[in-house]
Amino acid sequence: MTAYLFPQTLDEAVGMLVAHAGQARIISGGTDIMPDIRKARIVSTCFIDITRIPELTSITVEGGWATIGAATPFVALREHPYFAGHVHALVDAAASVGATAIQSAATWAGNLVQAMPAADGAIIAVALDAQVEVMDAAGAHWALVGSLYEGPGHSRIDPTHQLIARIRFPIPSGVWGTAWRRAGRRPSLVLPTLNCAVTITLTGGVVDTARIAMGPVGPRPVRAMAAEAFLTGRAPDASTLARAAEIALCDADPRSNALRGSREYRLAVLPVLVEAALTDAVGRATAGLA
Amino acid sequence: MPALTFTLNGAPATVEADPTRPLLDVLRGELGLTGTKQGCDYEGECGACTVLLDGRPIRACLMPVGKVTGRIVQTVEGLAGPDGLHPLQQAFIDAGAIQCGYCTPGMLMAAKGLLDRTATPSRAEIIDALEGNLCRCTGYQKIVAAVELGAVRMRGVSQAEKTGAPSGSPVMGGTHIRADSTDKATGACRYVEDLKIEGMAYGGVVRSPLPHARVIAINAHTAKQIAGVVAVLTAQDIRGENGLGAYSEEEPVLTAVGATVRMVGAPVALVVAQTPEALDRGLEAVRVEYEALPAVFEVADALRAGPPPIAGRDNVLAEYEVKHGDLEAEWGRSAAFVETEYKTTYLEHGALEREAVLGYYDEEGRLTVMGGTHQPYFQQAYIAASLALPKEQIRVIVPPTGGSFGGKQDPWPFIASALMTQAAGRPVLLAYTRHESFLASPKRHPYAVRSTVGATRDGRLTGVRVRIDANTGAYDSGGKYIPNYAVTASGGPYRWQAVDAYGRTVYTNGPKAGQFRGFGTAQSCFAAECTLDELAQQLHLDPLELRRVNCLRNDETSFLGYPIAESLGFADVLDVLQGPYEAMCADAAAFAGDGRNLARGVGIAGMWYRFGKAGPLAVEAHAELGLEGHFTIYCTAADYGQGTNTAMIQMAAEALGLPASSIQLINADTRTAPDSGIQGASRATFFVGGAVAQAASVLRTEILDAAAELLDMPPQLLSLQADKVLLPHGEGVSLAEIAAEFERIGKSRRVRGLFDLTPHFPVEGRPQYAPLFVTGAHVAEVEVNLRTGDVQVLRIVAAHDVGRVINRVDAEGQIEGAIMMGLGAALMEEVLPGHTTGFANYYLPTVKSMPRMEVILVETPSRFGPFGAKGLGEAAMLPATPAIINAVSRAIGARLRTIPATPERVLAALQGRPTA
Repeated sequence: MTAYLFPQTLDEAVGMLVAHAGQARIISGGTDIMPDIRKARIVSTCFIDITRIPELTSITVEGGWATIGAATPFVALREHPYFAGHVHALVDAAASVGATAIQSAATWAGNLVQAMPAADGAIIAVALDAQVEVMDAAGAHWALVGSLYEGPGHSRIDPTHQLIARIRFPIPSGVWGTAWRRAGRRPSLVLPTLNCAVTITLTGGVVDTARIAMGPVGPRPVRAMAAEAFLTGRAPDASTLARAAEIALCDADPRSNALRGSREYRLAVLPVLVEAALTDAVGRATAGLA
Repeated sequence: MPALTFTLNGAPATVEADPTRPLLDVLRGELGLTGTKQGCDYEGECGACTVLLDGRPIRACLMPVGKVTGRIVQTVEGLAGPDGLHPLQQAFIDAGAIQCGYCTPGMLMAAKGLLDRTATPSRAEIIDALEGNLCRCTGYQKIVAAVELGAVRMRGVSQAEKTGAPSGSPVMGGTHIRADSTDKATGACRYVEDLKIEGMAYGGVVRSPLPHARVIAINAHTAKQIAGVVAVLTAQDIRGENGLGAYSEEEPVLTAVGATVRMVGAPVALVVAQTPEALDRGLEAVRVEYEALPAVFEVADALRAGPPPIAGRDNVLAEYEVKHGDLEAEWGRSAAFVETEYKTTYLEHGALEREAVLGYYDEEGRLTVMGGTHQPYFQQAYIAASLALPKEQIRVIVPPTGGSFGGKQDPWPFIASALMTQAAGRPVLLAYTRHESFLASPKRHPYAVRSTVGATRDGRLTGVRVRIDANTGAYDSGGKYIPNYAVTASGGPYRWQAVDAYGRTVYTNGPKAGQFRGFGTAQSCFAAECTLDELAQQLHLDPLELRRVNCLRNDETSFLGYPIAESLGFADVLDVLQGPYEAMCADAAAFAGDGRNLARGVGIAGMWYRFGKAGPLAVEAHAELGLEGHFTIYCTAADYGQGTNTAMIQMAAEALGLPASSIQLINADTRTAPDSGIQGASRATFFVGGAVAQAASVLRTEILDAAAELLDMPPQLLSLQADKVLLPHGEGVSLAEIAAEFERIGKSRRVRGLFDLTPHFPVEGRPQYAPLFVTGAHVAEVEVNLRTGDVQVLRIVAAHDVGRVINRVDAEGQIEGAIMMGLGAALMEEVLPGHTTGFANYYLPTVKSMPRMEVILVETPSRFGPFGAKGLGEAAMLPATPAIINAVSRAIGARLRTIPATPERVLAALQGRPTA
């Protein structure tokens, strides 16, 4: 008989993990792990549902950070007025996860713990330089999303001992913009052939920082470091963005997949997506300046 | 078990269940709310289980029931109130948004979730809310329209608009509300898996993991010892024929020791158990030892000498050719030639309801099998042969069915279900998982079509040479008919001076291919219509004009070497498309030059389709006057979602001269309804409808004659009403009295109607199949991303000669749904053996994939059909794929010759690179 618990506070949730000594497991939206439970790939005698902890369902934007409770479903990201107006890539990435009826339950934090290399939530998190607050018996600490990957489908976060309490990402103080692009075999309910997210900050008409995250082009979300370095300090005109998009290939090592596309196709299309995302992000950053 | 409490459809619900079980199972199981459906093995991929949780749509299959405690759950059963249907439900019914109905509850709940938050949603918001809820019947357009209509009505519009049901419509030709759509909109409709039968056990199948292997040994002993396992059957337990009869030569029900399995998923043993859990344990415990054999998957490899033969003569199942005229001479006078090779792939029907068959003993002790299929009488015969029982001891009933598209013609689940029911001596449910359906159900045959066609400078077609190789996969399953169908469809409604066409089906170790909407014809129509487009391009001739120049007219010699018996409306089809075609060409041309990223193109494709070929030329139906004076029609025109229940009643009503509401229908039950032949090749409306109309007409005459006797009046002065026969001055006699009179004089109240074309097609000189053809054409406009290869279809205009419209909304729905299937085949659908596992990676079009669709119904009356109607359902499947591919090829300036035209293939064609 499986126990199903609803802690009311974070401390209570951690206490439950400790009390069950590795026999319990955190559950949030449940959409990713239900198939695993059904096929007995996940077996647990106790699930600790964190979605009724009030502090985990809020979104705040203050002090230079956007902070999202771990139990916040994707639909809340899509509908959040600040994100809709300022963090377009996050809204678009949230809208790419499955379909509307999945976004009502699935959470960003859950998406990260699944650790799939091209999870939409992971790609956007890396592009936003997001961190997660990991809690366990030893306490709480913030970790960069990019540091959570042990390997494909394997996170360093152990949901039988740990939980993600919050996700946060910095809100740049200056001129900035984000964008999201995704390629797939149909408009929704499909794993991405490619996805990418971009955050650009501008100072005095040149790129201050660029963060470009891409998937599935490696065993974990991949940053286009060479392209980011190329962009830094340059004026983001069309030819520079196109050149940066080509340079993004330096960090991409995609595999062929019979159902989603060959390595060659992915390499051919990746610069197209990156260029489009960069163009959108720059456009959004400069939209209010003219 | 802990008691879980939540609010369900406005009332408290308490249930004892493991909290990690899916909400879907608890709703359908303990709570008995079977309106919410399961279509994709609990992967969240189909949306049929969408319900509202605190007002938000969620997938009930991915929702642990423990999570909903204390919260508010709404299902389709909670939509209707004491005052009747919810406006959304009524809108779905009125807009023709419901066909098979299996996706309907999920669609309704997704729509309600939107409209409860957004009273005036934009079209884009509606599409976003429905995106990811799969529908395989409608093409989504009428569903989106229904949500728009529902939104208007929910805002509380005038009463007149609220009762938008087109009640004033005529019986024929107008928009007629389907007989069964209310039950489908409320969740009351019971599909096989929704039935609860006392003592029901669960059946399952042990399947081969290897594509080609000899069965060395089967050990069922351990499995039989497992608690809860009721029976394990292998080939040696089959008393009668271990085969599928004429449906599929040499396809065993279960592969015996010593014989070979020819595909992954080939059935080897059956297990019956008391619970699904015991069934899983039983299936795992059956030990089968195989000797692996070399396997081939491509036709070319199967034809090469070397690997062990699979079946047939050198792995060839069947061949067919059409040859007439002097090809060399015709080519000699030709100014233009094109030589092409087009390729298609395995496709899945993807009906939202998986194969589900229930076996039980009826109240008379007769072994009964209930399941969606096209031909219950055929299934009865196949079952009887395998069980070595007289046919009369077997009953087959077609219940409400969640789509078929040809897939549910496969007799295998019916025979297996009967075997298990007999062995277990109790009801047995055999329900495929979605994964199993992908493994074991028949697919569409992949083709390779090589063509050479010639034309004169002014575009007159001269000679054509076609060679078609069809991959039938592991088993026949109707592949023997393919060469004829394939060759025939490659001709089209055009004048040819010389023809040399040959097709064959070849065995491989791929999945067995079988019947699929537009059986055998869609693939060669695709190749032929794309080849014609290439020819037009070479001649610098407008592709619509090319078709007009060569348009086959009534009674001219056809591609087959003889004239078509039916009236041909193709010239009218082309005429009505001229305007939309020019408008779309103008739009695409105006768009050209808008940057380097996007390009638009327009494509056209025609088709002819030989309907009715699959069955006899004479079929029967019955009409009965009940003792209370009501009418009942008895026939076999199985309704798996396409609307035959409604069409049959309409045609009976038309023949009786009465409103449809006064007629009941008993359809597709071998105990109570007569055999009206197979429902394949779009036969139902034409053949069975003809018999129904005839039966109704005979009954009407007999009633009026009997009334004339009773009233001592000439019958021509009498009129038949819904409840009585009326005299001109108002007096009359009730139908109940007339029924009593029938009884008194010993006259049967049930009369037989025969629709018989044999006098028109005497056996002497008749071709193998009666030349009854319909025609149609589609125009498609697409937008292609030149840098990624992504294709968005913007608009499709479809014109079809239907002879006579029976039900406008249903005719449109058939065509829109067929366009969706054609679009899927053109751009995204593909079963890759060894890779494709279910809906997660078989890409069915979603609502966002679909273009704006316009349907034009051309009515060139049939020379034979009831009220002038012709067959339609499958024909509409043919032109969409080549129209889209031609449009893409025109947009990118390069030819696509392999479908699906994935972004990768489109990009490769653009860059002149070969792809797989």
